[in-house]
Amino acid sequence: MPLRPGNRAAEGGDDLIPLRFGDDPLLWASWLYYEEGMTQGDIAEQMGVSRPSVNAYLADARARGIVSIEIAPDRFRSLSIAKALRDHFNLQDCLVIPTEGGERSLIARLGDAGARVLSRFMRSGDTLAVTWGRTVLSIADQIQPPILQDVRVVQATGGTTAKIPWTPEACASRLAKALNARAIPISAPAIVSSPEVRALLMQEAVLSEQLGMLAEADRIVMGISSLRPESTIHSSGFLEGGMQHAHYQDAVGSIVGRFISARGEPVIGPMHDRTIGLDLDQLRRVPQRIAVAGGMDKVAAILAALRGGYVNVLVTDIATGRGILTAEGYRDTPRRPPSEPDRPPRARTHVKKLINAPQDAVDETLKGALLAHEHLIAPVAGSSRVVRALDAPRQGKVAIVVGGGAGHEPAFWGYVGPGLADAAVVGNIFASPPPDPIIAATRAVNGQAGVIYIYGNFSGDVMNFDMAAEVMAAEGVEVRSVITTDDIASSPRETRSARRGVAGNIFTFKIAGAAAARMMSLDACEALARHANARTYTMGLALEPGSLPETRQPSFDLGPEDMEIGVGVHGEPGVERRGLASADACADLLLERILEEMHAAEGDEVALLINSLGSIPTMEMYIVLRRVRQRLKARGLRVHSSLVGPYYTSLDMAGLSLSVLHLDKELKELLEVPCRSAALTIG
Amino acid sequence: MTALPNVGLGPVIEELAEVIVANKAWLSEIDGKIGDGDHGSNMAKGFGRAAERIHGQDMTLDAGMLVLSEVLMGEIGGSMGPLYGLMFEDMAAALAGKSVIDTQTFAAMLQAGLEGVQGVGNAQVGDKTLIDTLVPAVAAFKAQSAAGFAVAIPAMIAAAEQGRDSTIDLVARIGRSSRLGERSRGVLDAGATSCCLILTSLGQSILKRLG
Repeated sequence: MPLRPGNRAAEGGDDLIPLRFGDDPLLWASWLYYEEGMTQGDIAEQMGVSRPSVNAYLADARARGIVSIEIAPDRFRSLSIAKALRDHFNLQDCLVIPTEGGERSLIARLGDAGARVLSRFMRSGDTLAVTWGRTVLSIADQIQPPILQDVRVVQATGGTTAKIPWTPEACASRLAKALNARAIPISAPAIVSSPEVRALLMQEAVLSEQLGMLAEADRIVMGISSLRPESTIHSSGFLEGGMQHAHYQDAVGSIVGRFISARGEPVIGPMHDRTIGLDLDQLRRVPQRIAVAGGMDKVAAILAALRGGYVNVLVTDIATGRGILTAEGYRDTPRRPPSEPDRPPRARTHVKKLINAPQDAVDETLKGALLAHEHLIAPVAGSSRVVRALDAPRQGKVAIVVGGGAGHEPAFWGYVGPGLADAAVVGNIFASPPPDPIIAATRAVNGQAGVIYIYGNFSGDVMNFDMAAEVMAAEGVEVRSVITTDDIASSPRETRSARRGVAGNIFTFKIAGAAAARMMSLDACEALARHANARTYTMGLALEPGSLPETRQPSFDLGPEDMEIGVGVHGEPGVERRGLASADACADLLLERILEEMHAAEGDEVALLINSLGSIPTMEMYIVLRRVRQRLKARGLRVHSSLVGPYYTSLDMAGLSLSVLHLDKELKELLEVPCRSAALTIG
Repeated sequence: MTALPNVGLGPVIEELAEVIVANKAWLSEIDGKIGDGDHGSNMAKGFGRAAERIHGQDMTLDAGMLVLSEVLMGEIGGSMGPLYGLMFEDMAAALAGKSVIDTQTFAAMLQAGLEGVQGVGNAQVGDKTLIDTLVPAVAAFKAQSAAGFAVAIPAMIAAAEQGRDSTIDLVARIGRSSRLGERSRGVLDAGATSCCLILTSLGQSILKRLG
C-alpha cells in the first residue's frame, strides 16, 4: 500500500528553547519577530508551535511589557489626536497631518491628504457630491484615483460668478475629470434673488433631475468655512453685506453654503430660501461625509460641524485637531490596563453535523421533503431517489426532468411542480444519479410529447444521463438533453461549453418549465432552455469550505484571512484565492466579471439571483444584493426581479453566488408565467 | 503454476473491496485537494456493498466482477460509477466461459477493461485521470506476459504506480478538476490513485494464489 504522502513529522515540536531566552517563549518569539524580522509563520516553524500561538505570545509580550513600542513623537501625536477625534465624535475615520510641513502650504498638504482619503473610499458606481473652496480644489488637483467605473460627481450647490478659481463649477468639473467620472452640474445660481425665483426654478425639469441625483449621493467631500471676512463663504457671495450682523450672529461657520451655530444647529436666515443646493438635513442623510479643513481660524467652525454630526470622516492637521479637542474639554483618559489575552480554543477535528448515520442523510432528506411538500410532490414507486410532480404526467405536455448530486438542497426536488420540472432525480452527495432512477423518472412523467433532461455540466452527470437517454430512446421516447454551463469562473468564454452548471440552473428550469406549461413543442422548449442557459451568468465565492457528512472535514483549506473566488457547488476549490474583502468589493468583483461577458445595452433588463452556498447569513446576501443593484443602476440596467436565498446550496459552504439572467422579451414573458414548487413560486 | 482455475475467485473481489475501504480516507483526502472530496466514500460504498453480496458465495472472478459492476452502475452514480462499472463489466465479459486464467486471458481482461473505460470517457494519457495509471499498466503486463505472472504482475504494479505518480505533475484536462487549470498541478489524481489500488490488489491476489 502506498504511504500517505505529505504527512510532515511534528518536526521542531521537541526543540529546546535556546539558552539565552531562559525558559521564556514570549521573549524568544519577540526576539525572532522584532529583532530578527522573521514572519510569524517562520517563527511558528522554528519554535514548533502553531501560528496562532506565536500571535498570542507576541500579544502577551506587549501586554507584559517585555516589548515596548515607541513611535516617533510627531507621528505619535498625529495618531493619538486622530484616535481621540474619532472616538470622541464617533467618526468613521480621521486623518491628522503634521501642521508644519516644509515648503508646501497647509492647504496644499490638506488637499493631498484629502485626495488620498477620497481615493481610498471611492468605489465604482459611486455618486460623489462635492462642495467648493481652496481645499476642495486642492483635492481635485492632487487626486490620483484608482481605476473606477460608472462614477458620477455632482455639484453640491448651484454656481457663482465670483472672481475666484475655486467656484463650485470648477471644483466639481476638475474633480470629475480627475476621477474619470460623469460631471453633473447644478444648472442654476447658488444664490438667487428671492425665494419666489427659487421656487420657480425648482420646477424646471433639468434642475430637479440634477438635484435628484444630488440626493442619491453615496458620499460627499467638502470644506468647512469660517465666517471671517476673507473666508470662502464671503468671497463666493453666499453672504451679502450686512446680513451677517443682522441675521447670522449665532453662526460660527458654514458647510455646503449653509450656516451652523457653535452647537452645530442650523442657523436659518434670509439666505436660506434663496440658496439652491444640498441643505443640512439632506447632508446628514449622505452615508459618508468627508470634511477636509484645517487652520486655527477654523477650529470653531469644524467643532460646530462635528457637534452637529455633519461630518463622519475628518481630515485636518495636528494644531487644529488639538484645538478642537481642547475646546471640547477633552482629556486623554489613561489607557486601559492590559487584560489577560484569551486562550485560543481547542482545535476542532470534525465539523458538527445534525444528522443520523451519514449514509442515510440523502434518503432521510428526501423523505422529509416529500412530507413537507406533499401537496406538490410525490415519490415514484421503486425509486427512492426520484420525486415527481403531483400533476405529472400531463398528456401532450413536454416533460422536464432535472437532477444531479445531492447536497444542493432545495435543488432539485424544490423545483418540481406546476410550471417547473415534472420530476427530479438525485444521486449521492455531489455525485450524479446512476441511469436507473433517471429512467424511472422519465417513465413516470412521460406525457408522450417528449422529455427534456436539464442538468449541470459535470462529467458524471453527462455519462449517466446519456446512458438513461439511450435506454429511453430504445423504448421510443424522444429525449433531449440541455446541459447548463452558467459558471463563468470555470472556463474561459471561448470554451463556454466546458463550463459548469451551477445556481443559474434555476433560471433555465424556470424558462423550460414555463415553455412546457404553455404546451410548446419539444423543439421549442429545448431551444428556449438553451437560450436561457446561454444568457445566464453565474459567479460565486466562498469564505469557508463546506464539509461532507461522511468525512466531516472541510473539503478544502482556506486561510483565516482568505476567500476563494469562483468556487463550484461541490466543495471543489475555486479558481483563485485572495484576501477577504468587503461585501461591496466582492459584489463588484462578481458583477464586473459577469458584465464583462454579458454585453448588455443601457436599458436592458435582467433577473438576479443571490444564492447562498449553504451557510452565509441572510444579512450578508442582502448587503451584496444592495450593492449589485446600485451598480446595475449606475450602469443603466433595469432589474426585473431579485431572488435572494438558499436556492442551490453546497452543503454548509459559507459563501454565495451571483447569477444574472439577461432578459429579452421572450425570456421575460416566460419568467413571469406562474409556477409553484417548494423552492420557487411565482404568481 | 502459470494459470489459476476461474472458479472460487469471488474472494478476489472481496480482497479488493477491503483495500478500497481501508484507503477510503486517503482517497477522499486526495480528491479534496482538487475535487469534491468524496471519491473515497463513494468508492468504499460501492466496493463494500459488492463485497457483502459476494461474501460466502461460490463465484468465478467474472461473476464477482459483474456483481461489482452492477452495484457501481446502479447505485453509485457520479463519474466513477459508469467508468469503473463499465471497466469491470467488460473485464468480466473477457473472462466469461474461461475455466482457467492464464497470462493471455488476464491480458485480454485488462485490455477489455481499458477499452470499457475509454468507451465511456474520452480521456487520453496526460489528462490527469485514471487512464494515466491504466494505460501503462496494461501495456507493461502485456509486454511481460510471456514471462509468466510472477514477472508480469510486478511489472504491471510498478507501471501503475509510476502512472499514478505521473499525475502529480499534470494539469487536469478533463473532469471536475479541469476547471482549476494550473492549480490542479502538484496533486495526485484521485481516480489514478484508486485505479492503482485496484490493479495492485488484483495482481497481488492472483500472485498469492499461484503460491
